[in-house]
Amino acid sequence: MLKYTLKRFGQMILMMFLLSILVFFLFALMPGDFFSGNRKLTPTRLAELRALYGLDKPPLQRYFIWLGNVLHGDFGWSLKYNEPVTDLLKTYMFNSFIVALAAMVIAWTIAVIVGVYSATHQYAFVDKLVTVIVFASLSFPSFFIGLLAIKFFAVDLKWLPVGGMIDTGSNSTGLAYVLEVGRHMILPVLILAFFSAGGLTRYFRSGMLDVLRLDFVRCARARGIKEHAVVYRHALRNALLPAITLLGFELPGLFSGAIITEQIFGWPGIGPIQLDALNAHDYEVLMTCTLLLSFLTILGNFLADVMYSVADPRVRLAQKAEA
Amino acid sequence: MAVVNEKETGTTVKQSVKQPDGKAAARAKRPLPLWRRHLRDLMQVRAARIAVFFLIFMLLFSFIGPLFSPYGQNQLNVRFAEQAPTIDHWLGTDDYGRDVLTRLMYAGRISMTIGIASTVLSMVLGALIGVASGYFGGWIDAIIMRFADLLMSIPSLPLLIIMAALLSAFDVPPDTRIYYVMVMLSVIGWPGIARMIRGEVLSLREELYMKATEALGLSTRSRLFHHLMPNVYPLLIVQTTLSVAGGILMESTLSFLGLGVMPPNASWGNMMAVASNLMDFQKRPWLWIPPGTAVFVTVVCINVLGDRIRDVVDPRAKEA
Amino acid sequence: MSLATKSRARRITSVLAAAVAALMLAGCGASNNSATSSTPTTVDGSLNKIVYKGDASKSPAKANQRDDTFVTTIGTPSGVFLPYFQDNGWDGNATQPIFNSLVVVDNSGNVKPDLAEKWDISSDGLTYTYHLRKGLKFSDGSPLTAKDVAFTLTLLNDPAYSGGADFTNIGIKGVDEYKNGNAKSISGIKVVDDQTITIETTKVNPLALQTLGGSVLSKAYYGKDYKKGKLDYLKDLYSKPMGDGPYQLSKYVDGQEIRYKANKYYYGGKPKIENLIFKVTSKDTALANFQNGETDDDSFTPDQDNLDQLKSFGFATIRESTVPDISEIWLNNKNDILKDKKVRQALVYGLDRQQIVDVQLKGFGQVANVYAAPTQWSYTEKGVPTYKYNADKAKKLLDEAGWREGSDGIRVKDGKKLTLRYLTSKSDDPVVPIATENYKAIGVNFQPEVLDGDTIIQRWTQGGDWDMVGGFRTNGLVDPDDAINEFYSTNTSVNLTGYDNAEVTKLAKEGIATQDKDKRKEIYAELYKKLGEDVPTILVSYRQSLSAWNARIKNAEDFSTGSGDSSQALAKLEITK
Repeated sequence: MLKYTLKRFGQMILMMFLLSILVFFLFALMPGDFFSGNRKLTPTRLAELRALYGLDKPPLQRYFIWLGNVLHGDFGWSLKYNEPVTDLLKTYMFNSFIVALAAMVIAWTIAVIVGVYSATHQYAFVDKLVTVIVFASLSFPSFFIGLLAIKFFAVDLKWLPVGGMIDTGSNSTGLAYVLEVGRHMILPVLILAFFSAGGLTRYFRSGMLDVLRLDFVRCARARGIKEHAVVYRHALRNALLPAITLLGFELPGLFSGAIITEQIFGWPGIGPIQLDALNAHDYEVLMTCTLLLSFLTILGNFLADVMYSVADPRVRLAQKAEA
Repeated sequence: MAVVNEKETGTTVKQSVKQPDGKAAARAKRPLPLWRRHLRDLMQVRAARIAVFFLIFMLLFSFIGPLFSPYGQNQLNVRFAEQAPTIDHWLGTDDYGRDVLTRLMYAGRISMTIGIASTVLSMVLGALIGVASGYFGGWIDAIIMRFADLLMSIPSLPLLIIMAALLSAFDVPPDTRIYYVMVMLSVIGWPGIARMIRGEVLSLREELYMKATEALGLSTRSRLFHHLMPNVYPLLIVQTTLSVAGGILMESTLSFLGLGVMPPNASWGNMMAVASNLMDFQKRPWLWIPPGTAVFVTVVCINVLGDRIRDVVDPRAKEA
Repeated sequence: MSLATKSRARRITSVLAAAVAALMLAGCGASNNSATSSTPTTVDGSLNKIVYKGDASKSPAKANQRDDTFVTTIGTPSGVFLPYFQDNGWDGNATQPIFNSLVVVDNSGNVKPDLAEKWDISSDGLTYTYHLRKGLKFSDGSPLTAKDVAFTLTLLNDPAYSGGADFTNIGIKGVDEYKNGNAKSISGIKVVDDQTITIETTKVNPLALQTLGGSVLSKAYYGKDYKKGKLDYLKDLYSKPMGDGPYQLSKYVDGQEIRYKANKYYYGGKPKIENLIFKVTSKDTALANFQNGETDDDSFTPDQDNLDQLKSFGFATIRESTVPDISEIWLNNKNDILKDKKVRQALVYGLDRQQIVDVQLKGFGQVANVYAAPTQWSYTEKGVPTYKYNADKAKKLLDEAGWREGSDGIRVKDGKKLTLRYLTSKSDDPVVPIATENYKAIGVNFQPEVLDGDTIIQRWTQGGDWDMVGGFRTNGLVDPDDAINEFYSTNTSVNLTGYDNAEVTKLAKEGIATQDKDKRKEIYAELYKKLGEDVPTILVSYRQSLSAWNARIKNAEDFSTGSGDSSQALAKLEITK
């Protein structure tokens, strides 16, 4: 087990290195740089500026300079925000993270409950209703749902704030601050959860349907175990196993930000920042974001593999046999 | 869906080879070929029948419908822009005064083709690679999976922007670019499904019946395609049917980079994008309800059908 | 595609959709830049108008709770609160209340006094003398003198300076020796006394007065650690601005809002409203925020729906104003097909620009015919051809140019088809559907293509691999030269069309060789006629912006975020209690 984990870890480091090359050259290939969009600059000034920021050097040389800096923990300077990239990302990524985490917890909870219920009551009214809602959520733009929620809860009912993270001009601290942020979080979290719960529900429903057909479930039923216990104690645990892989996929999503939702609700997250950076060709910000998310993707897959082999005894045995 | 049928037909061929009786006599006694039995089972459920009906309707609507329309898809008249449904325009007009119904039909052609083709393509790739990876394990698995990791971490946006620039530089006609993009997205999009299938295969291959195939000395090909694959279908079908909606809506996203359907031609995605604010949403529902409903109907039908096919082909569900 | 890939797909979707939204926002930045001026000198006075007067008593409770705070809005600031060192236009807006300028330019392009009460320009047009007001102070109470002005200009010509301020077209005397040589100071900048500074330049440039007369940085505060060639220390001060404007920064909440407090040392007296907040809002929720009283002032997407909504609130005073920029379709004048003037003229006649304006601007714009915005002092339609939509005329011109209709309806000349590729950065560019239909009718094979903006710019500026480019607007136009300098510049990244006409070049150069406004007016009138006839680009539209403020705010008629004189107007706002 340890050997497998170590080997897997070694592979992961190699992958990170390959990725850094990939990410760097992808952005190096992109048309235009930070200054090219500014038509007001004279060619002399343009050349001066590019030289000042080392953009005139050949890409290979730039790559090694960049890699060297990254290894020293220096992720560069945001030309657009005029501050170190790490400072910029720290604040905004955390904001995105809290919303995404809350949304994920809610979405998974809803999806497990609804998925299991649908599976155990296949083709019943609720199952059909859930199916319809799930696909309606996939078919219509998320943008509208967000705006409708604002119109209804914030403008008409005035229960919740229109957007932002704090009240305008608010100086609250401590618990009051936490509550204030919490109130502003409600709408974006619910919208995000609504949209990710859809697909997940289908996933759990299908997984649960599979498991309910397996021999051990029928066996448990035959032994006279109550249906409730069969479903929740025996079947559900097995149905959740493949979800570990899915959980691994979700890791980068926690930090990537949700552009549309964050934009509509004025939530200061990383999503709109990445977009701005893309529009402005602020590549140091983009490269750091991409590298970080790529790293999380790889890490997520690594953790999923390791967790999966711990959780599912059949997989573990298989790997032992190989090793 | 197409994939499933092909595989099943493959099996029937084998069966008929095994029983070379007199044709006439056999036809009466022999059970129906597998695919026909599947089809019969499939159509037994009313929901599936309705789904099939609507899918056929959507196809006819999109591919034959425009022949009956007095309008062209891009025929515009700004003076009659954003009009509510009337006798002349059954579903109203859009911001350029184009007939929404006609555009809906033309849009269906491209949106359905793209949605289904792109999904099936990445599913087939993902499934094959996933099964191979999970089944063979060891270094093959390690290499495939690390490669998958790499692909999954590549940011799609810069890749798409570069691709848009390249396609334009090579003078690829704007209307055909979307097909190149779909292929590329499938090529970089398979890792997700491959990982999932691999996970499933990892546990399946430890099942007793797989051990049995090994003990019986069946060929790898036979074990893979006749014994392992059918058990993966249920998961695959659910994933595929779920992704069709994504595929359809993906097209409108790509339009922003000039990689989707080239305006002024219509797609369901870009038709919905016309309604861009709450006011349109409330005051001009004919702009977004028709394309939204078209996507919705198509997607729900495909999923209902997918669910049913899954029940029919799942070997584990047979005796239940 | 699996769940995971699906969620990735959704991420791209949102990136792009938001990218488009952001482009629109950027557009609004420009619209802010130019809203209203107290004395409109436009050809049509009605282009700047209050269309509805709000009733302060209907103001929402939430707004009324703030009896000493004015909340206006901003797009996406990035927290660099130091003039000249910003790349983001929104930061520029956010810094305006903190730093006044020596002189300001109103929306008609007229220069007005601010920190400098008057100025002199030598008869040869090369030496500028600014006379500062007496008793000017920074917000820390320290005096603002000509030495600070000299320091600011020196800093901006430092070899390490990497911001956008550019004096190359002015040519301050001695800059080269300072930048590239050993000079300790810039010889052309002379402090006469605390209130007087003279700047010697080497090129006559009517824009020099405003370019040299910008914001003033305190030497004591920003120049403490200044050594030639080393500007890194300034980065620590980006977030801690100290200026002379009506307000001073109190707090920047990342991505949320920027808070200011009134500056008691402001030369016009301490502003009546104690607190100022720039709140970050998106276009999508601007209306909801305004309706709920979260904001006091904002601009909105101009269309009838929004106007009706705003009116229905009752408390909103609504303003429509013309934005000083032009939407154009650029034509490659070096191209085999398009170098023929008749073809270019046919393309204007054959395009129903009114329809484009109707779809895109929904009654909040008009067809453009002059290479100037209607707000500019040089604007005149006299003698300028209007090219009203006329397909027959277009066909006739194409016939005359030798393009004959082929069997498939597309015109042919010398065996070559009349095919024109149109690059646009916007997938919802209204030119695409309309031109496709219009041009088909006159036998032109119009091939639209949507591409990323920077890919287009690259194609556009490097080599001639393009026919037509749309989906861009000119930058905000201030001086008459702004709209036409691309037609005579020899720099290919400025002269995108490759247009070259000796007569136009001569007129345009005369236009910037004199400071005499009447003379310039005449020159530009002639130039507009000439360019209108020559059609180097297809002029499409002028647009209007829609903004509104809560009627509880008094004197807001003169205020609009981003306009040159906005900080002077800001200082005069009051809240009705």
